[in-house]
Amino acid sequence: MSELTFTPVIGIEIHIRLKTDTKIFCACSTDTDAPANTNICPVCMGLPGSLPRLNHNVVEKGMLAGMALHCTVQPRSLFFRKSYFYPDLPKGHQISQCDLPVVADGYIEVHDAEGKLKKIRVNHLHLEEDAAAMHHSASDGRLEGASTSYVDYNRAGMPLGEIVSEPDISSSAEAVEYAMNLQRRVRYAGASDADLDKGMMRFDANVSLKCSDGRWGRKVEVKNMNSFRALERAIEFEIKRQKKILQSGGEVLQETRHWNDAKGVTSASRVKEFYRKFIVEPDLPPLIVNQEWIDRVTAMMPEMPDVRANRYVHDMGLTQEAADILTDDKATADYFEACVKAGANPVRAANWVRTEVLRVLNETQKKISEFRVKPEVLAEIVRRVDDRKLSTTQAKEVFDYMCANDCVLDDVVKKLGITEGGVAGNALAEIISNVIKANPDVLAEIQSGKDTKGKKFKFLQGLVMKESKGQAKPQEVVEALTAALKK
Amino acid sequence: MELYKLDLYEASKGIKDRKFSAQELFESCRERIDSCEGKINAFITRTDNAEPITENPYGIFAGVPTVLKDNLCTNGIRTTAASRILGNWKPPYDATAWKYLREAGAVLMGKVNMDEFAMGNTCGNSAFGPTHNPNDISRIPGGSSGGSAAAVSAGYVPFSLGSDTGGSIRQPASYCGVYGMKPTYGMVSRYGLISYGSSLDQIGPFARTIRDIQLVMSVLAQYDPMDSSCFREKNPDFTHHEDASIKGKRIALVKEFQNFTLDAPIAEAMKKTQKVLEENGAIITEVSLPVVSKYAVACYYALAMSEAHTNLERYDGVRYGYTVNDAAGIKEMFERVRSYGFGSEVKSRIIAGTCLTEPSRCDEYYVAATKVRTLIAQEFIRAFGECDFILQPVTPSLPHKIGEEDEDAMKGYETDLYTLPVNLAGLPGLSFFTGYDDSTKLPVGLQLIGPRWSDSEILNAGMILERHLGSPKIADGGVK
Repeated sequence: MSELTFTPVIGIEIHIRLKTDTKIFCACSTDTDAPANTNICPVCMGLPGSLPRLNHNVVEKGMLAGMALHCTVQPRSLFFRKSYFYPDLPKGHQISQCDLPVVADGYIEVHDAEGKLKKIRVNHLHLEEDAAAMHHSASDGRLEGASTSYVDYNRAGMPLGEIVSEPDISSSAEAVEYAMNLQRRVRYAGASDADLDKGMMRFDANVSLKCSDGRWGRKVEVKNMNSFRALERAIEFEIKRQKKILQSGGEVLQETRHWNDAKGVTSASRVKEFYRKFIVEPDLPPLIVNQEWIDRVTAMMPEMPDVRANRYVHDMGLTQEAADILTDDKATADYFEACVKAGANPVRAANWVRTEVLRVLNETQKKISEFRVKPEVLAEIVRRVDDRKLSTTQAKEVFDYMCANDCVLDDVVKKLGITEGGVAGNALAEIISNVIKANPDVLAEIQSGKDTKGKKFKFLQGLVMKESKGQAKPQEVVEALTAALKK
Repeated sequence: MELYKLDLYEASKGIKDRKFSAQELFESCRERIDSCEGKINAFITRTDNAEPITENPYGIFAGVPTVLKDNLCTNGIRTTAASRILGNWKPPYDATAWKYLREAGAVLMGKVNMDEFAMGNTCGNSAFGPTHNPNDISRIPGGSSGGSAAAVSAGYVPFSLGSDTGGSIRQPASYCGVYGMKPTYGMVSRYGLISYGSSLDQIGPFARTIRDIQLVMSVLAQYDPMDSSCFREKNPDFTHHEDASIKGKRIALVKEFQNFTLDAPIAEAMKKTQKVLEENGAIITEVSLPVVSKYAVACYYALAMSEAHTNLERYDGVRYGYTVNDAAGIKEMFERVRSYGFGSEVKSRIIAGTCLTEPSRCDEYYVAATKVRTLIAQEFIRAFGECDFILQPVTPSLPHKIGEEDEDAMKGYETDLYTLPVNLAGLPGLSFFTGYDDSTKLPVGLQLIGPRWSDSEILNAGMILERHLGSPKIADGGVK
């Protein structure tokens, strides 16, 4: 009997918090730092008689996120009521677009095991409201064994986009790349901050295994992953678990499992999934997006990171590696482009940004928006190096000083005693003239031809170099000094 | 003079002309309430114990008392929807409709009885006991807005608000002998109306004259951004035009309804009304509504119950209303709160709604009903290509005695055949007074319906009918 092989078939559902000032169906603030139950109103509390009203900014952010994932905006979409009973759900149902979403049919590219680009299809992104946050008083913060639960309705009605992939993912590595790519793209589009630490991006994965003997394991939904690492580990755990079952001839049950990050295992959900059904939300009319609106949002779309990186490689001559590093974060890429726009050579500006700027940001744990050296200033530094006004060493000295101090470039150059472009021409002639004047006896000796070994000449040369603080080029000093002595 | 007998227009004018004060009117109404309420039981919560407070002494309703159906939210005043499950809940906000009345100067006398969550047509399915018909206190006032109709009929207040999901304004208006208007869906903001069937619910007024209905509609019919189904470019004109005419208007009877039997007083009222219409230049014609007559009842209940059961999911005892503190877990808490909190009619509609939308049956019932609804709406559009208004009964019979409810629940549902198609198609409907039945002395009402947004035209026709059929009198309310 030949060894059985298993191919993982993985689909991912990602919830992202859409970046708006107010909630999806009311005017409450989306501030995540507010004290519990302060950003609430009759609508997001689901009080009797209250009605939802759609925040059109949420629709726009959803469209932006969808466009960032190559999706098409749907001219007509609907909202439904998704029913289940739980204290985190003020109305006993969640308002969600479910299967008639605002954007659909996109993709994200990832690298497969052989390093080749592969498209992971995005089925759709639909808009929905978040539930309230529950805090359980059991020691491990989980539901089981908790004696008291607290509900914070600030989160109820926060705008979410749920992005559903097709089951095109074959490994945990692809899953993580998919998720990271998605995060980068929705951030670029300004659709979401997708901050994992703040719960603005959450993952569910559907994992099943296809066996070489033709058997196909049932789909298992794994929930509760809140980091890329958790996503990776949960998928790997689940692949191993299902493989073991299939290898021993068992059957994988179709179920929902929860990822326990502390224990590193998935376990069958003990909280029973409440029975769900959908009816059309009668309080919200169908969402109609006309071409004019689509055009307006399309115009808001910034260039996506892959397109940008391509441009850097083809138009600016950067390496793929440099381009990828620069475009990873939109603010960094924006900074780099501002440098280039201010006149810096793209290749050298790229080197400066990825080595020096990112190093300092990393050391100081700061964002590029808070960075002291503005792109125009860095461009000027780069240009002065190109014009040989600054040596590379001097330029780094100036840059480091400016990273740590609020100051103007020219002042720093002065303060550090740097004469830009070295000491040459008239300045050099003046130094030489002064040196000669101060040493009439040495001049006399040389002019009388006594300096046969050139020792006196070297002496004067040394004085000139010293006076120029080492900023004169030796060859030029020799030439100018020789000429001056002949006069 | 007994000020409580004045209608809204007279009362408002009297106060403005300083013939009497708002205080005097308020006290007269309060005395009337005190003398009848023991027999009628229209109130759930009275708010007439303090001095009258008008928010706007210059508003068109300045100082005029009113009552609201208890499914309209009132800031800081208990709102129950006639259910135990809301306990002593006091909303932190006003329903938009009430806000508009308040801003126009109206004074709230209280919150009135209804069938629990507006589910019923007797005003007997209430946690606060049944309301009695002021024309004959042994009979039902109709429902679900029975309290609102009874209060106007008994002279408690000149006008009131109710809500109509399948006839809940028009039927009690007819039973109590007052005018009741169910506006076009979207004409009046539903914000703050405790939902029953969201796509069917509409708030509307009760009054003793058409002019008063017009006055209230002129205040209610305003755009409200808080209700996404409230859409209208400009405010319609509800001005009272004395010289309005129905000359040349085609008023149709529904062909299929001719086969259904009507009790004699209703049939007689139909004849009398047609005669008045013809005498005033209208043309009586006939339209055919085959889908409506066959499927409206089933379609209506499938949709109303499906929407209702999701609208009622929020009552779980977690945030407001009745709750239990000693449940062993969340599931037990939900079970106990909902088992005790809801009355039996509400429970049966929740169960029906749950079944109708259950995944294995959803297509067959809920989805099918949404499709039938579209057909019904189209059928009405076609019909209104052939006529201006449709004249039909509100109910096939006069109000029955309290306690004589039909054992067969389905028969109770079927008496709504004349009212609920109007809600399915989002049409406006006016329940108007035609006179008193000779033998029972009970008022007899009929219904005029029109295409969407024809509310003011219907009222113009209603005004002509009122002129020739007479206005209703204040009922004795069980006391002479």
